[in-house]
Formats: sequence, C-alpha cells, structure tokens
Amino acid sequence: MKPRIEILDKLKGHIFKTVSTHYKSLNDCKYVDVRLGISEFKSATSENGQSKDVTDDYDASFGIRVIAGEMSSWGFYGQSLGKNDLKVKEITNLIINGINTAYERAIANAKKKQEFKKSADSLTEVKLAKIKVCQDTVPSDFEIDPRKVSLKKVLKTSMDVSWQMKELDPSVHYTAAGIKTGITRELFCSSEGANIDQSLPLTQGVVYVSAQKGESSPEVCYDYVGDMRGWEIIEGKNCYNLSFLDFALERTRETIELSGAEFLKTSKDEVVVVTDPHFNTLLVHEIVGHPTESDRILKMETAYAGRSWLFKNMDENQIGKRIASPLVNAFSDPTSMGYGYYKYDAEGTLAKRIDVIKNGILRTFLNGRENAAVLGHEPNGSMRATMSSMVPIVRMTNTAFGPGKKNPKNIIKEVKDGYYIVSHRIPSISESRENFRISAKKVYKIENGKLVKLYRGGGIMANSKEFLMSVDAVGNDFEMYPIPTCGKGQPMQVMRVGNGGPTLRGKARLAGC
Amino acid sequence: MIKIEDLRTAVADALKYVERQKDVIDAEVFASWNDLITIRLNYTSDIPCNGIHEPKSIQSYGLGILATFKKGNRIETGFGSVTNDLTKEGVLEALSKAKRNRVYDPGFKTLPGLVGKPVLANYHDKRVMSISGKDAVGLGWKALDGALKTLRDGGHQKTIIIGGDVTIQRERMAIKTTKGIDDFDETTSLTANITAMIENKNVKGTGWNMGTRLASFKPEVAGREAAESAMKTIGGRKIRSGKYNVIFGNQPLTDIVSNILIPSLDLSSVYASNTPFLGKLGQGIASSNLNIYDDGSIEGEIGSKKITCEGIPTGRTDLITNGMLTGFLANNYYAQKFRNNLYCPMPRSGFRYSTNGRDYRDKSGIYPTNVVIEGSRETARGSLLKEVSNGVYIGRIWYTYAINGLAMGDFTSTIIADSFLIKDGKIASPLKPNTIRINTNIKHILNNIIGITKKKRSTLVWGSREVVIAPEIAVSNVQLDNVTGFLG
Repeated sequence: MKPRIEILDKLKGHIFKTVSTHYKSLNDCKYVDVRLGISEFKSATSENGQSKDVTDDYDASFGIRVIAGEMSSWGFYGQSLGKNDLKVKEITNLIINGINTAYERAIANAKKKQEFKKSADSLTEVKLAKIKVCQDTVPSDFEIDPRKVSLKKVLKTSMDVSWQMKELDPSVHYTAAGIKTGITRELFCSSEGANIDQSLPLTQGVVYVSAQKGESSPEVCYDYVGDMRGWEIIEGKNCYNLSFLDFALERTRETIELSGAEFLKTSKDEVVVVTDPHFNTLLVHEIVGHPTESDRILKMETAYAGRSWLFKNMDENQIGKRIASPLVNAFSDPTSMGYGYYKYDAEGTLAKRIDVIKNGILRTFLNGRENAAVLGHEPNGSMRATMSSMVPIVRMTNTAFGPGKKNPKNIIKEVKDGYYIVSHRIPSISESRENFRISAKKVYKIENGKLVKLYRGGGIMANSKEFLMSVDAVGNDFEMYPIPTCGKGQPMQVMRVGNGGPTLRGKARLAGC
Repeated sequence: MIKIEDLRTAVADALKYVERQKDVIDAEVFASWNDLITIRLNYTSDIPCNGIHEPKSIQSYGLGILATFKKGNRIETGFGSVTNDLTKEGVLEALSKAKRNRVYDPGFKTLPGLVGKPVLANYHDKRVMSISGKDAVGLGWKALDGALKTLRDGGHQKTIIIGGDVTIQRERMAIKTTKGIDDFDETTSLTANITAMIENKNVKGTGWNMGTRLASFKPEVAGREAAESAMKTIGGRKIRSGKYNVIFGNQPLTDIVSNILIPSLDLSSVYASNTPFLGKLGQGIASSNLNIYDDGSIEGEIGSKKITCEGIPTGRTDLITNGMLTGFLANNYYAQKFRNNLYCPMPRSGFRYSTNGRDYRDKSGIYPTNVVIEGSRETARGSLLKEVSNGVYIGRIWYTYAINGLAMGDFTSTIIADSFLIKDGKIASPLKPNTIRINTNIKHILNNIIGITKKKRSTLVWGSREVVIAPEIAVSNVQLDNVTGFLG
C-alpha cells in the first residue's frame, strides 16, 4: 500500500513538537522551520496514439531552514522520504538529524561571516520581518478528486488525445500528450509556533505537435492547460473552457495552418502591435513579474537569473515612479485561481493580493521575510519551493496585467497598419529584464482594422519601459494562463506560476526569421 | 550516506527476486545515493547581505526497477521505484509499482546488453565523499575572499556584487540486469562559478574552476578571475546594430552548444521532428573545420562517468566530423528505435539525471557528458584575432534560447559581460554590457566559421549538467542589435 496524504494526520503533532523542543536545545539557534510534503499523483504520456509511460505513485520529502550563530546565518538541509520514514519514531529522528546538519552549517557560516565582517561591513545578521504566526489547516479544493480517477482513465485520455491529434492531417509528423493529476499536502512548522497544514490539488495536460508541409521547416507547438484543481480541468473547467481533447485539437489545427504560412521578416523600425492575452502572459512574466522579485532587486540573482531594471540602488530606483502608460496596471494575487494559488507561502506568511503597477506607477516588489526586512517593506508572502526538500525563493504568484475597459475587437479595428501578435512561444530577456525578444505562435498583418495575412516564426522585441510606456489601449478580455516551467535558483527550481492579462496595444519591432 | 557495497548488494538481491517472477521477461535494477551540496554566494557592498547566503544540500537514495512483462503476444514495460529502502520489502514495493505502471510501448525493443569495458575506474575522491559541513562552507568563503581581495587591490570597494556558488556533487550507483550488466560507479565533482560586478562602472566578470578532486580544486581562483575580468572591462562602449565578425569565447560557445546545438543532436528531438538537422545524417551541416563529439570517459572532467545509468561504458560519440553530421546522442530506447542497416547508434547517453544526481526515481533520458569541440585546423588566439581583424570578442552571453523552436534553428541572446571590440587584429576597448542582443541562427554559426583555437577550457553554464570543452570560435557576419543598458 502506498502512503496516502492522510498519513500526515498522525505525524503533524509530533513534527510540530519536535521542531519546538529540539530548537530550544541548540545554543545560539535563532530560528528553525520545517516543511514536510507528500504528494500522490497519477500521470500518463502517449505519442501518436500509443502509450508511452504511466505512473501511479507518491513522493515525499522535507526541507529544514535554520538561523543560528552569534552573527545569525542560514543553514539548510533537505532530503527525500520513503514509506518507512513516514512513521512517528523514524520521522522524528530524521528531522532532528536534519536540524542538526542545517544548524552545523549555519554555525560554521556564522563564524566565517564574523571573521569577514572586519573587512566587509555590509555583512549582516539574518533578520526576518515579523508576520502573524498562523496555525491553520487548508483542505484541497476540487470538483473531481484526482485520487479517484483511475490510472486507466488517465492513460486512455492521453492516448485518445494524441491519436486524434495525429489523425487530423497527413502533415502532422508527431504528437504527444501528457497528463498529470494529484494532490500535494505540506506541513509548515516553525520555532515561532507556526503550524500550517495546506493541501493543493494540481491537474495539468500538455501537448506537443509537429507538422511539416513540403520542404519547409517543421512547425512545432508545445502548450499546457492546467490549474490547482481536480480532474475537471481535463474535462473543460479551465482557462480555455475547452476539454483537454478540444484544446489539443485546436493547437494541432493552428500548427497545421502555420506550417504552410510565410515566415515573418524582422522590421527595421517600431510598428503598432496588438498583443493578445496569451502573449501578454509571457510578456508580464518576463518584464514585470521577474524584475519585481525582491531577490533580483537586492542583486542576489546577479550570477544566475539577473538583476532588475527597476532598482539600481536604495536611492536610485523606480518605486513610486512612472514605468508604464497610465493605462497599465499589474498585480500579483496568490488568492485567486491559477498556478500561483495558495493560502500560505513557504514561510507561513498569509497570502495576499498586491498591486505591482498602479496606473503606470511602480508600487512594490514581491518578497519574503528576509528581503522584506532588508527593504523595510511589509512581507507579502511570495516565497515558494518546487519541492519541500528545496530552499524557498521569491516567486511570482498569479502575476498579471490588470484588465482595461476596451473591447479587444475595437483595439484591432482602430489600427490602420500594424500587427496582431497571438499566443506566446519562447522568451529571451536581457540581464536586468530591460529589453526583451519574445516569439509568438502566430502573427497577423492588420490593415485598416482587419487581419489580412498570417505569418509564422515571428514575435516582437523592444525595451521594456519603452513598450510599457507606448501602451495606448487595454482590453477588457482578461485571462490567466498557466506557466508550468519557470526556472530560477541554484540548483535550478522549475516552478508553476500563473500569468495573464488582457489585450494590449503598443509599439515594438517585429522580430522574424 | 549509503555505501557502494550496500547498493551493489541491493541490486543483486533485487534482481534475484525479480527474476523468479513468472511474468517478468527481463529486468534492470538500478540503485543510487546522491548528495548535492550548494554553497551560494551573495555579497553586495552597498546592501546588507550574508556573504555566503545559504549552505544547503539535497540528499536521496533508493532503488528503481524497469521490467518487461509478457502479456499475450505483446511485451509490456513498467517502472517502479522506492525511496530510502533497499530491503526486500522495498524491492517488492518497486516491483509492484512496475507492474501497476506497465504499458505496451511499441517503441520499446529490449534492455541493453553487455557492451565492452569501461575506461574509467575508481576515479572519485574519497575526501570529497567525506567532506564536512564546515569545510564545505569554507570553500564558499574562499571563493568570495578571492574576488573581494582582488577587487580591493584594484581599488574597488563600493557598488560591488559577488555572486555564484560552490557546488559539490557526490553520486554512487549500482546496476544489475538480466542481460548480464552488473556494475557500479562513484563520482565526485566540485565546481565554483563566480560572477563579480562593479555596478557603478557597469562591468561584470566571470570566473570558474572545476575538478573531481578536492586537492586541485581552487574556488579562490574562480573568485580572482571573476574580479579581474570585471576590472578589465571598465569603460565599455556601445556599438551600432549590424553584422559583425565575432569571436565567441569559451562561455558563449558553451551557452550556444548547451542550449541550442546539443538539444538538436539528440535522437528524441529527431523523433519529435524538433531539430534543424532532420534528414541530414551523413550530410554537411557545418564548416569542414568543425568537429564535435561527446565523450564521458575523459579522466578528470566533471562530466565523466565510468558507465551510463543503463550500465553501458561511457565513450566517444561523434556528432559532427569535418563538418558532416555523423551521429546523434542516444539512450538505449532511442538507439534501438533508430537502429537499421545503415545507422547503428551507440546508447552512450542514457542517464537518469535529476536535481541532485543519478536518480533511481527516473527512467533514463538522453544527456551529454563532456562535449568536445575541435577544429581540423586549429589556431592560436592571436592568429584568430588577426583573421577577424575588426569585430567583437564575446566573452559571456545570457538567456540563449531557440526563439522560434529548435526546428527553426533561430536563436537570440544578450551579451552581458567579458566582451571587447576587436580592432586591427587586436583586443581593443571593452564592450558595454547589456547593450547588445545577438539575433542569428545555429546554421549560420556552423557554416560561417572563420577559425577555431587550439586552446580549450572546460566550461559549464547555469542549468546544464554537461561540460563543454570549448575553444574560442570566430564566425563571420553575425547579426548584433543594439538594446538599452541597465536603467537606460
């Protein structure tokens, strides 16, 4: 019998007690938190209608953060857990050993920091901004329990989807469909007294299709549907309002159509571009979401994911300044549905909606407790980790451009000469996110308010601030889409986030083949 | 920490039990223990910081069974794994999962058989295997010290950023199969990848050091190199958009190879029609001067392994030879699928990599090891600069993506550090970081090579596991576009 997430009912009291008591036994230990998670999931993948892989399994792990030493410093330890570890005695021992290892690292780190402090005065003690310490249980919310869907049904759905995609047209070379559905339950216990038990379901479908006409390059599409809900996502209760099959067929038809389209050419100068909600999903992710993460703001990601165009230093930054047209709003909201949904973040901070850009003015950054303390901001609960065994880092939640008032059809109708940029594909961003090139699945030429020609292999490039300032129309067609593969951290953590927005109109250069 | 003997005993006992099952035709038992220690640096002279932000590790061990089962006339395959359990009960659980997870996959032919003997043996460092938390933390501070002292000696104390990490990877694995494979492997690797910035000068430098043994690992050298490199690029200039002759240094070449070229030279990409080299095997795809191969058996390189995670001895897989496409990376699944009278790929790339090492929870995917890039006619750096005459030396790029999908070959990236203008065959003034975006195609790069240096350097980029043993390569007519700098 595989362990169920209910096994945590028996363990949570012991884990809370172990954290509280063992923390007190360690000299100079300032803080301990433990996250212990278990997920049950089923998954299936198929190619061209043929089964490829199925899994019905569980995964469990824990991660421990310790702040200790005279000059308070971090230490961390994470490990995977098996069935035999999920017993009171065993888990208690493992957590004590884990705390000891993290503590040893923190103490060693604190001693070195003290030595270096003499010649590097910006070295400081770790401080966490105060939060309301919570004790809560958050049950998972779904219409169709992922755990009650049979593995056979998951596989059959996947095979049927990839088979129907393949059968759609002879130009389709290859199709694949993957489905994953399950529930993750995670405990968060801290030496401050937090005791949070949070369960989140997740259901996701992914499709891949390649189609080729004649000697031209194959056209490839890779797209997702998903949310923090149950099997109803696959049946059609998702951001597309399409069953997974219909979603997959729509993507396949688009790919077939595109495989015969002309390639877009790069424009020399800026042109008028209307960007649809799916394209703006990746745009907001790259030029607003990432640069408002406070670890980038504080230069902590300089060696990896980069800095932020919004913050040069404590005195010279864009907080309170205009960075976009007055029509542009952006927010981050983990309390709304989407891939960034949760009630508490990985530090036990109660989630809340924050305005990131209000009427074109930059308002705040996404943060965790340590960064909030450095910046003198209030913690807003934006810390997450891909697995319990990994260190939480600042992450976007459901981060999106806010809706406007204009009918998107009218936004296109008003364009005499321009381009309609539809559905995101791949981004490339400069180091501080101040410039972007993002490709689209489809680009249409707009002439006198009408879409007159479809192009493939295109997208747009612009300086982030210039594009945001150029926005002269914002649609009322707000959508939130899943981004399941946001990479950040070292070692790399791949995280699901929600992003979205309405239709926008602005100016950018076309980037073609 | 789990001993290699325990892993070997576990796979042997497990295979004995699995072989006795009537419905099992063949089986592969894989057990591993992995530990990834990361000491992450974050020093900012003008913002309160920790210096070493977080010493951390992720550890796991367990056992996975891939088995083939008979069902009527068909063969079904199933995979199951258990964590933290090498006992008979653990084997029962993994086997029961493999049975529950079995499917008919017409692409699966057979498990790999015994092929040749490994080149490497006993190449891990026992000192790394037993490194203490205190010593691991100390390596991070050494890297920081190297960078800080160098910057101070150069007169730079303010607006300093030093980031990056020291990473220690420890892996043990054992494998035994019904096809006669019975082997094990232990690997250790150490890397220091450091970035230093002087923000008010708008310069960034990169340094790295890597190895498989603690005695020769010098994180402080990586720190010093990053700082020196940053100082060298003070006073950078912008250039206009246009086509330039460029030299790609070790890091940018590695970034392009890891993110664009190698994913296109993998049989799973061929199967999914997701490569610009579809149908090009045996044809010229690059300058005749270019040779690229993958070799996991090079002693001392951190991408090296004794055997793959399917038990096949590592070795050389030629990919591009004198400009001709001569092979693709493959694991056993794809090697069997593509095998025919004309092409017989060797499955030397079947690894089960996940975040912290060789993961018993996964089936083998396709991963490169050490990617070696060579010229048929190699040259010295000075001669390469002379051949380029006027152009741009690119030392570090970032966010290199196949912007229209791998099949198209288009890619874009921004130049973020370590770069210079080339004038009259010599390195001239530095290039201002974050002001140039590269917009080009991998086919253009491969077919417009001016020259390749003899001197190479083992290089690793963020998010990749493979090492690229990279020379510096000069390419003609690369499109460079001017973009804004940091905060305009």
